[in-house]
Amino acid sequence: MNMPHVAHNTATAQPVAGQETLLKVRNLQMDFGGLKAIQDVSMDLRSGIVTTLVGPNGAGKTTLFNMITGHLKPTSGEVDWMGDSLLGMPPWKIARKGIARTFQDLRLFTHMTVEENVLTVMEQEGWLWQSGGVSAKVARREKVASILERTGLKDKAGVRAVDLAYAERKFLSMARIMATDARLWLLDEPASGLDPNSYGLFLELLRSEVANGITVCIIEHNLDIVVNISDRIAFLDQGRLLADGAPDEILNNPELAAIYFGER
Amino acid sequence: MTAYILNLLVLISIYAILSTTLNFIIGYAGIFSLAHAVFFGIGAYTSAFVAMNLTPSFFVAIPIAMAVAALTSLALALPALRVRGEYFVAASLGLQMLAVTLFSEWKGFTGGIGGVIGIPPVELFGFAVVKPWQFLVLTLACLGIVIVVIRRLVHTSFGRSLKSIRDSESAALASGKNITIIKTLSVVLSSALTALAGGLYAFYMAFINVESFMLATSVLVMAMVIIGGTGTILGPIVGATLLMLLPGALSYLSFLPQTEIGSIQQIIYGAAMVLLMIYRPGGIVSPKAGGGTA
Repeated sequence: MNMPHVAHNTATAQPVAGQETLLKVRNLQMDFGGLKAIQDVSMDLRSGIVTTLVGPNGAGKTTLFNMITGHLKPTSGEVDWMGDSLLGMPPWKIARKGIARTFQDLRLFTHMTVEENVLTVMEQEGWLWQSGGVSAKVARREKVASILERTGLKDKAGVRAVDLAYAERKFLSMARIMATDARLWLLDEPASGLDPNSYGLFLELLRSEVANGITVCIIEHNLDIVVNISDRIAFLDQGRLLADGAPDEILNNPELAAIYFGER
Repeated sequence: MTAYILNLLVLISIYAILSTTLNFIIGYAGIFSLAHAVFFGIGAYTSAFVAMNLTPSFFVAIPIAMAVAALTSLALALPALRVRGEYFVAASLGLQMLAVTLFSEWKGFTGGIGGVIGIPPVELFGFAVVKPWQFLVLTLACLGIVIVVIRRLVHTSFGRSLKSIRDSESAALASGKNITIIKTLSVVLSSALTALAGGLYAFYMAFINVESFMLATSVLVMAMVIIGGTGTILGPIVGATLLMLLPGALSYLSFLPQTEIGSIQQIIYGAAMVLLMIYRPGGIVSPKAGGGTA
């Protein structure tokens, strides 16, 4: 089996001129007792592009997200955000540094309205109140209205998240991440289960945000999405980074395809 | 009869403050505390101590009681809220047991088992609040203030942060919220407002002892919140009213053995909570959209 080199071989990437590396992961390891969920993974996330994490179920994709965002403490290795180590930092501090994420199971604030779900994400400054007074408050409300308009949730602003349809919940998850000022978005299967119309809107949204400078790392199983949006693809299997490179290089690799489809 | 009704209304108002403040942390922050009676007790004992040794002024005794309760709750909340919800329940239960021992044994402050007697009437602007109707007005005013404060809080960014933590701690963390600080603040605020109820209770009864601040009181207040409806403003008040009226209402049912009213009451509380959890888990007053303010 002739696999592309694992781990720290970022030389296979397709660098786009002028783009910096925002996040560096080096020799990351995550053990759950005897189970090695992530093994010696090293990769870079470069600004302004979409990196897609692919791999079979249980490959360690979400675990990698959890380690980057501080929800899991790596057994060993390093996570570096624009020169600062994120190791040992609580998730809320990492979020404030500019790394936002969605969850595969969405984790919406179910009993809050759609508007509140988005608004609360923007209210990070103070514990008891936000600075900036009325003008900042108005600006936040306007930003929420604009995001809800773009995500097709304008008419649902006053509806509780728990009362939304499935696709609407997915878009609320996107709306929440759009409300952050994060430079890096980690999206965990954001388009799974979307109908064709919603899928089109999702792609349009994502492309527009990337065009505005957002860096995206996305976990996705839908190969159509992978082909449509990826600038780079990282292939994980059983906790190991088997390949990290340009979409053509990864998608046309028969060995990886066999692993992905469970043929070996 | 009028005196009986006035007495009942004062007690309902005091318990409504207790249930409203407990609902603030249960309904809006998802923090289940079994130590609410501790802060009720701290408020009562501190107010009584200040009234008997310094001044019975409402504006001195109550703020001191609130500050002491806030500081004590900080000692509980800071370590306990760093862990998952169920550990806080256990920690609060531990505090409740510890406090009962302290209330029973610290004779210099609490009077021990015998309690504190001869608490002078509370003074407002130099005017002693003695008559039951005057006290009812004061208690209702305090309940009103507590409701306004909590209603305002839950509609601020702080309230939204609390609700987001209640709904998903991990998503709140990923949204940049320091959930330990936010939850701690909510417990401190709730405890301080609970001490207000304690102070009112001490001044109204003129006598307090540990019996009023035991685990049974914490459970009763939690029942008021759950039966009335968590995450609503009206629910805890409805719950407090119903559960405070229940003993009196049962005594009117002549076919019930009057000596067993206490046990029947417990059976009714238990059955009501089980039935509500099955058929109306949100309580009698269900929340409106937004974790609201029904």
